[in-house]
Amino acid sequence: MKNTLRQIFHSSKFVVGFLIFVGLLAVIFIYPVFHPGNPLDMIGVGTFAKPGTYVSLYDSVTTQTQVLKLPEAADKRLAKVLSDEDRVKIVNYLTAIEVDVEGLDYSDTDALLEAWRANYDESLKPKGMTKAERNYYKRLNNSLNSMGSQGEMIVTEKDPSGEEKQMAVIGTEDYVNVKDVANTKNLVFGTDNFGRDVLKELVSAAKTSIQIGLIAGTVATFIGLLLGLLSGYVGGLLDDIIMFITNIFTVIPSFVLLILISYSIGQDKRGAPVVALVIGLTSWTWTARSVRSQVISLRNRDHVNLSRLSGHSLGRILLTDILPYIASYVVMAFILQVSSGILAEAQLSLLGLGPKTTEVPTLGLMMNWAMLYSAHLNGSWWAYFPVIFTITLISFSLNLMNTGLDQVFNPTLRD
Amino acid sequence: MKKLIALVLSSAMVLTGALSVSAAEVTELPREETLYFGGQQWGTVNSYNPIGTNQNNAMATTAQLLGSRTLMFETLYMYNFLDGSLTPLLADGDYSWNDDLTELTIKLKDAAKWSDGTDVTSQDVIRTFDIGVEIGNNTGTGYGAYIDSIEAVDDKTFVIKAAVTEDGNPVNPLKVNDFLGGVFIAQAAWIDAVVERNGGDATAILNDAAEDVVWSGPYTKYFDDDQKVVLVRDDNYWGQDASMWGKLPVPKYIAHAIYADNAATEVAFKAGEIDVDQQFLPNIQNTWLEEGLPISTYMEEAPYGVCLTMPTAWYNMNNPILAENTALRKAIAIAVDYDTIIANAMTNQSPSFADVPRSLMNPTEGEQALYDHDAVADLQFAGNDIDGANALLDEAGILDSDGDGWREIDGNKISLNAVCPNGWTDWMAAMEVVAAAGKNIGVEITTLFPEWDTVQTVFTNPNQTEYDIFMWSPDGAGPSMPWGRIRQFLDGDLVGIENNWTGNWGQYSNERATEIVQQIPLTSDPEELKALYTEAIQIYLTEVPSFSLMYRPAVFHAVNESVWTNFPEDGDGRNIPPADCTDGYGIAALYDLELVG
Amino acid sequence: MKGYRKYFGKKIIWFLITLVVAVLLNFILPRLMPNDPVAAITGKMAQGLTDASAAQRIYEKYQEEFGTNKPIIQQFFIFVKNLFHGDLGTSFSQYPRKVSDIISSSILWTIALQFPAIIVGWLLGNLLGALAAYIRKGFDKVLLPVSLFLSNIPAFGMAVMLLVLFAVKLKIAPTSGGYNFDMIPNFSWRFVKSVISHYQLPFWSIVLVSIGGQAVGMRSMSIYELNADYVKYARFLGIKDRKIVGYVFRNAMLPQITGLAMSIGTMVGGALVAEIIFSYPGLGSTMFSAISGGDYPLISATTLIITLMVLVISFLLDIIYGFIDPRVKAAQFD
Repeated sequence: MKNTLRQIFHSSKFVVGFLIFVGLLAVIFIYPVFHPGNPLDMIGVGTFAKPGTYVSLYDSVTTQTQVLKLPEAADKRLAKVLSDEDRVKIVNYLTAIEVDVEGLDYSDTDALLEAWRANYDESLKPKGMTKAERNYYKRLNNSLNSMGSQGEMIVTEKDPSGEEKQMAVIGTEDYVNVKDVANTKNLVFGTDNFGRDVLKELVSAAKTSIQIGLIAGTVATFIGLLLGLLSGYVGGLLDDIIMFITNIFTVIPSFVLLILISYSIGQDKRGAPVVALVIGLTSWTWTARSVRSQVISLRNRDHVNLSRLSGHSLGRILLTDILPYIASYVVMAFILQVSSGILAEAQLSLLGLGPKTTEVPTLGLMMNWAMLYSAHLNGSWWAYFPVIFTITLISFSLNLMNTGLDQVFNPTLRD
Repeated sequence: MKKLIALVLSSAMVLTGALSVSAAEVTELPREETLYFGGQQWGTVNSYNPIGTNQNNAMATTAQLLGSRTLMFETLYMYNFLDGSLTPLLADGDYSWNDDLTELTIKLKDAAKWSDGTDVTSQDVIRTFDIGVEIGNNTGTGYGAYIDSIEAVDDKTFVIKAAVTEDGNPVNPLKVNDFLGGVFIAQAAWIDAVVERNGGDATAILNDAAEDVVWSGPYTKYFDDDQKVVLVRDDNYWGQDASMWGKLPVPKYIAHAIYADNAATEVAFKAGEIDVDQQFLPNIQNTWLEEGLPISTYMEEAPYGVCLTMPTAWYNMNNPILAENTALRKAIAIAVDYDTIIANAMTNQSPSFADVPRSLMNPTEGEQALYDHDAVADLQFAGNDIDGANALLDEAGILDSDGDGWREIDGNKISLNAVCPNGWTDWMAAMEVVAAAGKNIGVEITTLFPEWDTVQTVFTNPNQTEYDIFMWSPDGAGPSMPWGRIRQFLDGDLVGIENNWTGNWGQYSNERATEIVQQIPLTSDPEELKALYTEAIQIYLTEVPSFSLMYRPAVFHAVNESVWTNFPEDGDGRNIPPADCTDGYGIAALYDLELVG
Repeated sequence: MKGYRKYFGKKIIWFLITLVVAVLLNFILPRLMPNDPVAAITGKMAQGLTDASAAQRIYEKYQEEFGTNKPIIQQFFIFVKNLFHGDLGTSFSQYPRKVSDIISSSILWTIALQFPAIIVGWLLGNLLGALAAYIRKGFDKVLLPVSLFLSNIPAFGMAVMLLVLFAVKLKIAPTSGGYNFDMIPNFSWRFVKSVISHYQLPFWSIVLVSIGGQAVGMRSMSIYELNADYVKYARFLGIKDRKIVGYVFRNAMLPQITGLAMSIGTMVGGALVAEIIFSYPGLGSTMFSAISGGDYPLISATTLIITLMVLVISFLLDIIYGFIDPRVKAAQFD
């Protein structure tokens, strides 16, 4: 046993897979300790906030400032509202309303703005200009106006009586240190369509999904093992019957069966454990088949025959004379079942047939909502890509461990 | 690799060979002559029957209160939800009521003709109504109770006689107005042919595929299969007469590809493969702000469209826990975080309940002016009031006595479900927010998203106990609003109706409210009306038989100006409603379209 | 020869029993789902009807038409009887379309998408796996983890990423559907070209995911065979390396062929997700919409197709194996 373990941990593939998996588990258990709270809390009003650090504007106004004279500050500020593309568009607009743009230089900001302010008229509808374009110019005009003249800004507060009180004067060279601001929030993966913290949700979802995978894997492996042992060892009519049931489950593909059953159960009864159970109940067939063929190759071995002649019970023979020889195989089958269970949950949820939604997030549900709110189409990669990546990583690590084990238990496969 | 290509090619060949190749002479629709739609047609078209009920044909046969889709079949008038006006289409000039509001006289346009060249006559209108009553289609069931008969004065003039009560008053003149903008007129001769070939069997007539149909509108069927439907312009359309449009609509083809779901439609819209999209697009502003696409909406700022309705969560009064505990109903309603629904589920494509406080009215200025805001201000809750909701429940003795975090009534944990159809994204998200509110006040609410086919059979059944809280939208706009909507919220007479598509889906009953619903259509004095409206709102907000979750456009209308431009826009002076260039007076937009560049 | 006959006789009997039970299950399972699709159609038809008895009449008429008012056993025999006539009934959700009509319009899309995708994925995967086994070291060190990683990307994840990358961002592939949005099916080169370009993303999303799995499997099998005694013996005898490798890979292919056959058998359900994400008009998306619409006849028909394909293929495999692999043959007559 000890020797086997040592061998296993000598397999680089197993070790890498194991480390990834343990790393994931560590994050799952440690992260919530430092970031407690309900992962389903809708903290953001508005959808798909970008990843990044959010600094309270309210608090930063009253935070101690530091003057920094940065040479490019004014240019950067300008570039934010007036990109090169905008400059080209301004000239296009002027041309469209038949203003003479001869000699106007794109890089000459002052001249460009002067020509713009002198000629832009919101009510004009130049021929052939779409509404979308007119809207663009309107927005550009608004942001150019709001840029102001780079003077000082005065912030006032309205007290309950409605009187205004001056709170701060902000100059163009005032900076605050983010560490001094009372409220900042770092959203590593932004928020989702409900305004939930994606990272927090992801950690919690990964935990649920792994649980689902473990339950599904245990159920499937147990059923498959039991039926495979009986069918392979006892043989005869029992074998025929078990193989018949197995065949039935094979010809009606398990995913179809899974969809039908999930649909029949109804969403209000589909908690995560129920979904896990259903997945387990529909995916045991190949374990049963492989265990059976392994047992058939074992059942006429001498030590089994000896045991039988000594009058040992069926259960004892199976447990002590057969199981130990296929244990490594069963462990590998279990790992694969766990990984396919996680995948099955994700696919089910994506089709809207996953666990009910109010209790816990799962990877599939996160994916489902991201797709419903077309995160993949509006560039909100943070709402779905980490989910795909997490599923892939979990299942990759499990399969890597499996390959490592395979090489340990089948010496011919070793590098 | 060569083998691979050959394989791919040959299978593609097999594929094309197997597809039914249409008789259509054009195999590729010229992009610059075709207006593409999205978000209207789901599934294969199965009939072009203007008097049927089993048509899954959004482009040709959508009859609705806020303006029927008059591409292939036409109505007497075109409703405009911007100002509530009715513009004559088949009709000539304004309609006129007699003084008792019992007779409505309408003249038809001399130029109005069917596609077979015959005139549109009074007989066609009469036959359309009569067959409706006979076979029980939507015209018959929707208007049979309000219109007694239609009688011809001459070939082009007819009188609609309103149904009257025993005391000689009209039952409801408002519903007669709905008829004018809602009902497609079909040709009498064609109706006769359909009746004959189906041996008069009502169900068979309702299901007739109508291959031989005669139409009066500017477009007709061209091609349909399970991937698209195409209508082609009828260049003999009568409406090019100076008495109507004076020209033909600009696009030669109207096409709608059938997409699998919203996401697929959105992809196609952004790619410029759809010009006019009737679909909720989350965060639509990002398409121009972030992606720089040539996409625009009727209004350039939130809420981007004209909100006409308010999707509502209805309590099922068949559930005694909900029927007997007004405090529970109110507590859930005030605990819901509507700002989150509007910002997250609707991505701000709705005014908030702070901007437009809740009532029975839609957010248009016209309806908002109809009631006394001060009289109901105390009752108008803005939501997210967890403390208030908890206090309300505590006070009503609905407590968590076993300490499991959930409140009980009579010792049983309250457990409710919240239902809306699967795939209706913003509604699903709204229901999630309702469920989250339940969690905050110790009432277990589980969301449930069955398929639409299932949802509709359950909530239209007056005895259903499957759904506790379910989402459905009252009517938004139409000639009979806001009365029609108030009726849907409060009319006790609708309780117990089988197969109820009319209203009061939660089976709520309140005597005074039912009375008010009956009085409104017969009241013409504005002050009296205002008092009635205000009282109805007071009852509604006190009793909370349902609670609105957001405001919403009746139709979404976003356009991609890659090919076509000059769509209707807010403040352009044309008064064309953003109704996807097809519905009611919205169809006027088709005559003004221009190609880009 | 007697052994053969007995063996096949037994096989055929089991095949028939499985077939009967599978048909029965295909019939019953969808009908266990909770909703009443006849009521759903009635609802659609009776929209706006206020007269309860009229709605009831419509309901009864449809019950009669679909036979749902008869006992379930009787329904089953009618189903089987119609099956022999090739009549799969009328769809509920797309009433009044015939199920056979819906299936024939979508099955070719699925076959045309899946069959080449499965074959290509299988060929490429096996080629890579065999190379990895043969070359080992450097190539293998990289290839195995990469293949494993690829094969563990969920099918929908791969489909979404391809969609975002090639259709939304780079705009070099069409986004959805089976052919161009501005076309009407016809026999033209342009139409075929359009079909082919719409074909790319769903095709590659299936191929990429399957390559990894196949490569990993083939690699293991090949290494196993390379280390088998007969190879050592052959080497000892001085047989040319090329020739040995040929034998090795032929043997290693056997289990892979089983895998290929099974994935062809299950292809209808296999690309459900890819079809849905790319709005591809195939049988997978038909099946899914049938399930969500509670459309028994359509569900039964689609699952029946899958069942038959799997059954026939596994039966054929058994027989072919009996002939080609002496080891299997020996076991069968045991």
